Amino acid sequence: MSSERKGSILQFATFQSSVDEGFWHGLCSLKLNKLKTDESPISITGFYTPCSNPHVSNHLNLLAESLPTEPSDELQTAATCGNRNKCSVPGTLYNTNTYEGYQSLDKKSLLKAEGKKIWDDIRSGKVEEDSSVLLRFLIISFADLKRFHFNYSVAFPALALDPPATLVDLKPASEWFTAEEVESVSACCNEWRMSCLTADVPFFLICISSNSHATIRPLKDFKACQHEDHKILFAFYDPYHGPSNPGWPLRNYLVFIYVRWNITKVPFLCYRENRGFADMGSSLVGEAIIEPSQGQDEMHVPQVIGWEVNGKKKVSRHIDLSTSMDPTRMVISAA
Amino acid sequence: MVLSQKLHEAFKGTVERITSPRTVSAFKEKGVLSVNEFVIAGDNLVSKCPTWSWESGDPNKRKSYLPSDKQFLITRNVPCMRRVASIQEEYEAAGGEILLDDEDNDGWLATHGKPKDTKGDEEENVPSIETLEISKKNTIQSIPSYFGTEEEDDIPDMEEIDESDNLVEEDPATLQPTYLVAHEPDDDNILRTRTYDVSITYDKYYQTPRVWLTGYDESRMLLDPELVLEDVSQDHARKTVTIEDHPHLSGKHASVHPCKHAAVMKKLIEPLIAGGLEPQVDKYLFLFLKFVATVIPTIEYDYTMDFDLGSSST
Repeated sequence: MSSERKGSILQFATFQSSVDEGFWHGLCSLKLNKLKTDESPISITGFYTPCSNPHVSNHLNLLAESLPTEPSDELQTAATCGNRNKCSVPGTLYNTNTYEGYQSLDKKSLLKAEGKKIWDDIRSGKVEEDSSVLLRFLIISFADLKRFHFNYSVAFPALALDPPATLVDLKPASEWFTAEEVESVSACCNEWRMSCLTADVPFFLICISSNSHATIRPLKDFKACQHEDHKILFAFYDPYHGPSNPGWPLRNYLVFIYVRWNITKVPFLCYRENRGFADMGSSLVGEAIIEPSQGQDEMHVPQVIGWEVNGKKKVSRHIDLSTSMDPTRMVISAA
Repeated sequence: MVLSQKLHEAFKGTVERITSPRTVSAFKEKGVLSVNEFVIAGDNLVSKCPTWSWESGDPNKRKSYLPSDKQFLITRNVPCMRRVASIQEEYEAAGGEILLDDEDNDGWLATHGKPKDTKGDEEENVPSIETLEISKKNTIQSIPSYFGTEEEDDIPDMEEIDESDNLVEEDPATLQPTYLVAHEPDDDNILRTRTYDVSITYDKYYQTPRVWLTGYDESRMLLDPELVLEDVSQDHARKTVTIEDHPHLSGKHASVHPCKHAAVMKKLIEPLIAGGLEPQVDKYLFLFLKFVATVIPTIEYDYTMDFDLGSSST
């Protein structure tokens, strides 16, 4: 990979989805009991967490609880504590009644509409209050309830900078920081990840004072800490594990930082963990350079990309759950 | 499911419904856990190994004897770099002496790596469902692949549609997966990137924790439970590890059957007591997971290796 080279185009590793069986079971009962033939889009929630192992990336997980819950479930309101292993990502599900409907969905427009939401939240400043809206996702599906077959496609909308950002430098955080800074940054990241209030907040600022003392501040404090004599790093939970590229969430983050705060030299930290604790050896620090785009006015929504492709470069995926969902089989196993 | 296994599940279900959960501690005497102790041990696991977390699971499947937000423990996306068969081959090629570092020397650690012909002496130590009088053969249903095979799939292929949509975006800032540009992955590369969701539930009947496995292939698609057995030590694959309904999650999952867990745990705790240590119940799950690692040696979930079960460590 050539991305470490000075001035090369900053390339982002794509986000990947992982849909568990419970999601499809939940979708079936939602469709049978509530949606019926209604094809309106549904707001759902995906979950992700920073990379936690040097060998594998983490994914956006879609689980049974990703779907809207029944009003009877009182636990949802009680859960005020963020789960460090399940950072919420807002998403939209388009489930069609027929396979033909699924095929004829205009994937480009749907992606563009989802990207527009991100763009609007960047411009309105909503991102500063709730940074998870930088990470939206989109899933379109056709659930064949007779055969228990599911066709689906997932997208992680990303606003594309034009021209693309370039990378000045990218190396492990442990090499970029001094030994004192490594210790202090690790300590405050672990604290951020252990705290109920911040554990599931994926974008944040790391401020390092001249005496190597690091503190973490939420995005909304940027204006305040900008005037302090601190080095500021724009940090995010990176689901990707590789040593040569940052993960997908940095894309919209850079657009936000550039559009909202007009910063063109962006020092960033890809925050990664090992066994649940900050790992400065696998976390990366780099600097992205953003060139102002030519002849585009402020109102223009950038190009949106992000449909996930599988190993064969196909967007649509298919899963057959008839063995676990077919009622006759379920009766047998429940007997 | 084999009839005898089904009958036993029905019996177990009835007993679970009519008996109250264990409240008196007996982990030192019997190797079992009360509900309360399970929660204490789970809290400790979550705090020491933060990749584990408590889940509330499906509200309809919630067990009233457990706190609603602490129904079971889960760690997701655990890598499994290689198949058990490959390490067993290596091990047998090396003379069949050491598979894992075996500090405890309890017998059960060493046995599962022994050459096949010495199986006879493992029966008493290795957890097995044979005591349930389940036929050794065919305990696992043959489950066809989850992924639609082409011939039974009457849905037209999406390939042309995708390409006509031109959705495979040409974007200079998107990193192309290396195996796409370099070469198609060979089998070996695919196998190396399986991942697992590992969960621990409380089994009220056996009064012990119980481990469940959900596998995903290299493209994050659900793995057929039958293929999950490739990541289980071969001496356990069709005996100790069975494929059953998860008590909190949807679908069939591979599970390490808990019928001998208490006996094994007791065996692990006894030498500690004999050595003058006071075993602490909040460390039960570390010891338990260490034991489970012998059943699923290539699934690299987190548990503290260098812990001391006794009170002297605190």
